[in-house]
Amino acid sequence: MKKISGVIASAAILAVGFAGSAFAEFPERPVKLIVPWAAGGDTDNIFRPFAAEFQKHLGQPVAIANVTGASGTVGAREAKNAPADGYSLYAVHDYIHLTYYAGLGDVKYSDFEPICLVAATPSVLTASAKTPFKTWAEFLADAKKRPGQISVGATLGSTSHIFPALIEKGAGIKLKYVSYDGLAPRMNALLGGHIDLTDSNLTQKGKVEAGLLRFLAIASPERDKEMPDVPTLKELGVNLVYEVVRGLLVPKGTPAPARAKLEEACAKATKEASFAEAMKKQGTRVAFLNAKDYGAFLDKIDGENKTIMTELGLMKK
Amino acid sequence: MFELLGDGLVTMLQWKYLVPLCLGTLIGIVGGSLPGVTITMTIIVVVPFTFGLDPLQGLAAMTGVYVGGSAGGLVTASLLGIPGTPSAIATTFDGFPMARRGEPGRALWLGVWASFFGGLIGGAFLIFVTGPLAAIALEFGPWEFFSLFVLAMAMVAGLTEGSMVKGLISTGIGLLITVIGTDPITSVPRFTFGSEFVRAGFPFLPVLIGVFAFAQIMTDVEKLGRPGTRAAAAARASASLRVSQLKVLGEILSRPFLLVWSTVVGIAIGVLPAIGGSAANMLAYDQAKKFSRHPEAFGTGTPEGIIASESSNNANVGGSLVTIMAFGIPGDAVTAVMLGAMTIHGIQSGPLFVSQNPELAYGIYAAYILAHPIMVLILGVGTLFLLRVTRVRLAVLAPVVLVLCAIGAYALNNTMQTVYVLLTFGIIGYVLVKLGFPLAPLILGLILGDQIELNLVRAIMTDADPLLFLTRPISAGLLAAAVLSVALAMWQHLRHQRRVATADGETDF
Repeated sequence: MKKISGVIASAAILAVGFAGSAFAEFPERPVKLIVPWAAGGDTDNIFRPFAAEFQKHLGQPVAIANVTGASGTVGAREAKNAPADGYSLYAVHDYIHLTYYAGLGDVKYSDFEPICLVAATPSVLTASAKTPFKTWAEFLADAKKRPGQISVGATLGSTSHIFPALIEKGAGIKLKYVSYDGLAPRMNALLGGHIDLTDSNLTQKGKVEAGLLRFLAIASPERDKEMPDVPTLKELGVNLVYEVVRGLLVPKGTPAPARAKLEEACAKATKEASFAEAMKKQGTRVAFLNAKDYGAFLDKIDGENKTIMTELGLMKK
Repeated sequence: MFELLGDGLVTMLQWKYLVPLCLGTLIGIVGGSLPGVTITMTIIVVVPFTFGLDPLQGLAAMTGVYVGGSAGGLVTASLLGIPGTPSAIATTFDGFPMARRGEPGRALWLGVWASFFGGLIGGAFLIFVTGPLAAIALEFGPWEFFSLFVLAMAMVAGLTEGSMVKGLISTGIGLLITVIGTDPITSVPRFTFGSEFVRAGFPFLPVLIGVFAFAQIMTDVEKLGRPGTRAAAAARASASLRVSQLKVLGEILSRPFLLVWSTVVGIAIGVLPAIGGSAANMLAYDQAKKFSRHPEAFGTGTPEGIIASESSNNANVGGSLVTIMAFGIPGDAVTAVMLGAMTIHGIQSGPLFVSQNPELAYGIYAAYILAHPIMVLILGVGTLFLLRVTRVRLAVLAPVVLVLCAIGAYALNNTMQTVYVLLTFGIIGYVLVKLGFPLAPLILGLILGDQIELNLVRAIMTDADPLLFLTRPISAGLLAAAVLSVALAMWQHLRHQRRVATADGETDF
């Protein structure tokens, strides 16, 4: 569904845009940031505080347009077809690689130019309180005893499927997947004990504190300061860091001066203390990479995603 | 608890909160009464405006939209026979016949007051039994959901006036429609014959508007210019717009069992994630008919039908707020948007939400309660103008409504695809009406189709043993109720036919 708020945002941009002069330096009018997921989702919750800081350093308002639908591919297509003038930005995460290889969308990450990496949200392997395992070790022992019996709720072919699949590979175990699209239905099923495990993130902290869920392991490089009791997969002997990373892209062909300006504003915005504070609430760490490094990073994770999708038999392209 | 609630009400009565609450309710009513504009769409439009407000102001506005939207659907449902939102489908069954009979004011006000009482009773459940209700909801795994949906379909197929077989066939058609297009689990295209148009599937809303609005209006248009329509038109023009509020209130309050039972159905469906108000109103209507002493009056403009439908859909709102208050898990799309907005304000939702943020939690309860009288006031002023719609000549009204429906369908996705779906299903719906097939079971099949499939697949993915559907107690109970429901409907049918037969016999002598 293309959201009406998006329409309003574009209308506002047009109205202001026509008033500006044609020869001033970029940016001379407000910028549109396409978020391919609904207002209130994890991506939206990360980019709204970001946009607030970003526009300060850019010197022009940033209007967020939630262009949602079809696993985020509707927004991806709109971003790809937007004019390459620097006024259309695209908030992206790892799904762009997965939807492409799963054949859900025809937009690839290489249809864009990288601006910067903004934030990384580590995945957390989360267990229902109705399961017998209280720790990673107990889980591992049980999983080895009963291969293919422990159930994982996942959006098939998306990050919540890939993360447990990588754990399977790293720990040498076999799990059973049950289709639950989206975190909310997975949480319902996990709380009711209808599934044993799922991929979540630190935003679910409240339920862990209330004893309804258990965080078994976090896939970040180091333990999180907010939840220091949750061990990392690395220290548990599984060499796996899995974070949902979110960054900014612009359509291919956007002029270099505009890209440089955007990159500079992004670098400054991610250094703001208030942004770090907002991200803490999202169970997310600020992870800035400049355009060059972000581009290389995208190439690397695209290759990794391709490999894992092939191994899982989910490749359509 | 009462003290906290009192504080919440006092806070909410400050202008600072009352204004967003009133505005939200008004916007909700408008959005709810426009066919094609859902409560979810309305609330998404409102969300960006709440970012600048303090959290409770924003939540008050959104609660207002939710309550207003659930009531707004009854306006179009009663006056035009088109459900403004899916949660007002059953309101059309009796509200529209009553309005057409020359009592549009009574139909509308029965709906308004039923919404008011249903919503408030739902609110009492929300505030006082959130914990236990939410705990029961969690027990529902894929097996239980599957069996519940089977029960829902069994119930509604029995609603049918004519033959139960036609009701079941209609349900089947609804289910089959959901099979077409991309499958919900692995995105494999099904029955698309290589067509891009079919591949996108048939989204629920354009089908609903097509089937109801188009089929409804076409049957009316058919009668234009025939003898007898002139008299009917005269009756329309002179229809009484005046209503005795006391009489309407009496009609509702003299049926406490109906009111409470419909409310309970609404809450139960609301607490369980995944289906929401669109199913609640039809199930409550079915229950009302089963318990009624004169089930044959249903569908001809009986007050019971309106009361059941409208009290259940507003109670449903209370129900769906239960899981979000208890666990921080949204039960439907509307509460998902509300939850997202809370997170943006930095509020950690979750099981400890109520104890950690009592001012906010009881503020939401207070907003929910206050939204109801506000809704009645707004509709009270609104009906003065809205009722005039019933005096407009059909030749003028029909094209306007059809155009509005087409625009509504277009606005869903900003594509012509949905408009074509509307047109296709308008024709299908019209043909089905002509052949005597009821449309409500079709719509329910359409609402539940994806969910039935998803939960069946989830159940099998979790455990391949099919006996679990019968050995898990809740699931078994629901399936037994489904069998019973069909049996009861058949018995009621037989009894009715026998009575008609005896009556005929008596006149013969």
